[in-house]
Amino acid sequence: MSLLSSQVEVIPMSESGSDIEMQENSPVQSGTGRTGANLDKDDVVLSVTDLEKSFGALVATDQATFDVERGTITGLIGPNGAGKSTLFNLISGFYQPDAGSVTLNGNDITGTVPYKIVNNGLIRTFQTPRKLEGMTVREAMLVGPQNQPGESFHKLFTSPSTVAESERQNLAAVERILEEFEIDHLATQPATDISGGQMKLVELARAMLADPDILLLDEPVAGVNPTLANKLKDQIRRLNEQGTTFLLIEHDMNFIMSLADPIIVLDQGSVLTEGTPDEVRSDDRVADAYLGGGGG
Amino acid sequence: MAVTEQFLELAANGVVYSSIIVLCSIGLSLIYSISGFANFAHGDTMTVGAYATLVAFGAIGGIGFSVLSLPLGFFLAVVIGIAITAVVALVTERIVYKPLQIGSLGLLITSIGIAFIYRALIQVGFSAGTYRYELEALRPIDALVQYGIRVTEHDVAIVISTIVLVVGLHILLQHTDLGRKMRATADNPDLARASGIRTRNVELWTWTIGAGLAGAGGAFLGLFNQLVPRMGFNELLIIFAAVILGGIGSVYGAMLGGFLIGMIVEMTPILSTVGIPIGSEYGAAIAFVIMVLVLLVRPEGIAGQAVGGEGG
Amino acid sequence: MTKAEQAVAGIVAAVAIALLLAMLGGVLSPTYFLFLFGLGGMYALMSLGLNAQWGFTGLINFSVAAFFGLGAYGAAIMTASNSPLAGGFNPIFGLALALALAAVVAVAIGIPTLRLRADYLAIATLGLAEVIRMVILNEGDYTAGSQGLRGIPSFFEGWPILSAFPETMPGLEIEIIPGQAVVLGTSFWRQLLNVSLMLAFLGTAFFVLRRAHRAPWGRVLRTIRSDEDLAKALGKNTYWYKMQAFVLGSLIMALAGVFYAHLNLFVNPGDLDPITTFYVWVAVMLGGAGSNRGALLGGFVVVAIREGPRFVGDVPVFALDPGPLRLLLIGLLIVLVMRFRPQGVLPPQRELIWPTAIDDDNRTTPKMGVREAKTDGEMQGSTDVSTEQSGGGDSDE
Repeated sequence: MSLLSSQVEVIPMSESGSDIEMQENSPVQSGTGRTGANLDKDDVVLSVTDLEKSFGALVATDQATFDVERGTITGLIGPNGAGKSTLFNLISGFYQPDAGSVTLNGNDITGTVPYKIVNNGLIRTFQTPRKLEGMTVREAMLVGPQNQPGESFHKLFTSPSTVAESERQNLAAVERILEEFEIDHLATQPATDISGGQMKLVELARAMLADPDILLLDEPVAGVNPTLANKLKDQIRRLNEQGTTFLLIEHDMNFIMSLADPIIVLDQGSVLTEGTPDEVRSDDRVADAYLGGGGG
Repeated sequence: MAVTEQFLELAANGVVYSSIIVLCSIGLSLIYSISGFANFAHGDTMTVGAYATLVAFGAIGGIGFSVLSLPLGFFLAVVIGIAITAVVALVTERIVYKPLQIGSLGLLITSIGIAFIYRALIQVGFSAGTYRYELEALRPIDALVQYGIRVTEHDVAIVISTIVLVVGLHILLQHTDLGRKMRATADNPDLARASGIRTRNVELWTWTIGAGLAGAGGAFLGLFNQLVPRMGFNELLIIFAAVILGGIGSVYGAMLGGFLIGMIVEMTPILSTVGIPIGSEYGAAIAFVIMVLVLLVRPEGIAGQAVGGEGG
Repeated sequence: MTKAEQAVAGIVAAVAIALLLAMLGGVLSPTYFLFLFGLGGMYALMSLGLNAQWGFTGLINFSVAAFFGLGAYGAAIMTASNSPLAGGFNPIFGLALALALAAVVAVAIGIPTLRLRADYLAIATLGLAEVIRMVILNEGDYTAGSQGLRGIPSFFEGWPILSAFPETMPGLEIEIIPGQAVVLGTSFWRQLLNVSLMLAFLGTAFFVLRRAHRAPWGRVLRTIRSDEDLAKALGKNTYWYKMQAFVLGSLIMALAGVFYAHLNLFVNPGDLDPITTFYVWVAVMLGGAGSNRGALLGGFVVVAIREGPRFVGDVPVFALDPGPLRLLLIGLLIVLVMRFRPQGVLPPQRELIWPTAIDDDNRTTPKMGVREAKTDGEMQGSTDVSTEQSGGGDSDE
């Protein structure tokens, strides 16, 4: 409580125009409260403004404000309880924010239901991999593609050939992406029988089948062995080069520092700072936040 | 004037019926939150209590002095009925629910099987016919009839016994170590386990107390109406409505919910008297609709948060 | 075939032979057999409906009996001779009313309750089913109340040829064991007609569900059952899918009710007793949630439990009333299945992918064709991934 909160208090709450001196690269724009985020980006795919969420007396998200630039791999770090997962849930529509707004591809998606957010081009994964009971890996993968004709009940009977054609294409896409991820040998394994790390790969691959503009990954390498973690890193990089924007939460500092740029630091529900991995690493406030957060 | 009289009569009956629902709601609520599943056998657990009391009373007979036209033997029989019900529930918990590894929905479905087994065995032992305790049928208390209230001394005994049991439970919950642990576990089982409460112990006591109260409720329901194998199952949804209205896991919420739902069911005839065209036959239906509304609008129940946190 | 499938096939064959022998030997009248078979089909139909809700989607619906009852009452109100409303219409209109009624009530119940947590849904649907039963019992002006609706014609009444079929068919006498002639008269042909109706309903429902289950539509439902949040995160409108499954299942249950009205020729509010709901639950659990074959099997097993106690009642060892024995068997079956085989006897085995898609795919996709799309990242000596590249790729159907 001590160190950390006093640190946050110092950051101006008002709109008086006083900048946060330590931020070399982030002039605070008007209209937002305290944020350490860089809001001066060219092509913003996801924009979070003054997002707030409380659970009873606990303020989980406190005027969180930041932008994600298209084509980046943006990292989101912060001590335990900083509100990272809550933020993901707010952005992806699983929680309703108390205040603030979320904009995706220029559309206001604040408080929208999750499936509509997916339609707008955002896919998220969960911290603990979700296993689909009774499905093989490729069946589980086939849930990924959006707007399948076979997902509408009447088309199963009125236009079965369209359904078959799209299923064939999707299956081919599944096989292709499983091969790209070098897990094609798992295709017909029961989805419940593969390791947690493999499941993370499957989830990433499946998310790509939905063809998102931006992918939110919640701790992609938690509980994953180093070999698989490297593999995941390569895949994320490769997909990013192909045009997908990533926003990822990760506790593994080596992993995120070597993959993401920029990195946004969240503390007590709001953005403490944003910068390159080096800037973040050398920022005392970040270290303080982690020390303070670790204790409380 | 007629409305007032009808109101008083219905209200008096409602208090008696509510007492029974209160007893059963407490147990269902405790088991729901501490064992983590909706126990569909709770209604038939009441039936077990009623028939156990019947057998015990048959064995003991109307010995001792009488209170409110009930011989001491009857109260003894109720105590034995409660004990037998608790034992039956504990044995069921130990040999059926405990070994299952299938999650709360599996337990819920299993409890339906248990409900049927209890009821089938009662039917085998006692036939599907109706029974009454071997007590003299009573006329309403004269002193109250002039106000339009028609209750018997047995009804008064039910209410007073309920008050005694509820106060006893209150003292247990507020002033004993076990009670504190039970409240903590009901409130937040994970937190309780993390803070070192031996939840298995608490769980067994919960079953004992919850089933025991259901047994008492069943015994009194038998006194209020009569004994039939379906008597408990018929009340099950009413009790669920009470628990959900009160807030699952909250003992005091269950008391309040039980009282309100019991009153609503019994007071329904007043609606047509005051011009609302809903017949008395829809009393239970109103309770079920209230239950669904509460689930939708306020799933934590009226007393959910407030009472749960009160004692901590 | 798996072991379970072999065992089930064996038992089904044995039972079929035993029934055939019993009929030939004159122990079991063919007419009564057809009646039982019709009942079995009726439960199988309801089980298919519940399978779409619980087996596919994970919806705990405890209002099976209510939708069965709505189907039966929909048919009866249009056709029964003492119907306070319509009466005397062609049964086709009864079928239409039954399905419309079931669909409207399913949507009305679904809108509020499908947002609820699974166990709350169970309690809420059981409560609302009771409300429906009370309305049918107490609104005598529309439903004839507790006296029930009588004088319901056979389903084929008023149809060309079929309506007179039982009377026009000649009485047959089959004598295999000398002196034990089996007579097939008008009532036999009438039951045969009923059974054909049941098979038509059952066949339609089975066909629709099997296709839906293997389609992407069914895959979304299965995802919801496993993990609704995941389905949402993958862009599926889960509420809408749950509603579709709920309505579809309810329609199939109502179909069973329509069949029942024309089989029994009399319906009363007792037909909405919640026990029916739990019979159907036992059938689906026993068969295996999500398995359409299992639902069929379960339906017939449940009728064996329902009707069996009538016969063993004569055996002194089981000198119990059929009522409690039935209840005991159902209760024990629930507990034993949950304890020892929660996945059911015939759980779904195969991958559920649109059939024509998977065959073509296996034929035309060359194994190495898309390899070049792979980036040449550093080949990790990953133990659990890149070692057995060869083995698994081909799908084994």
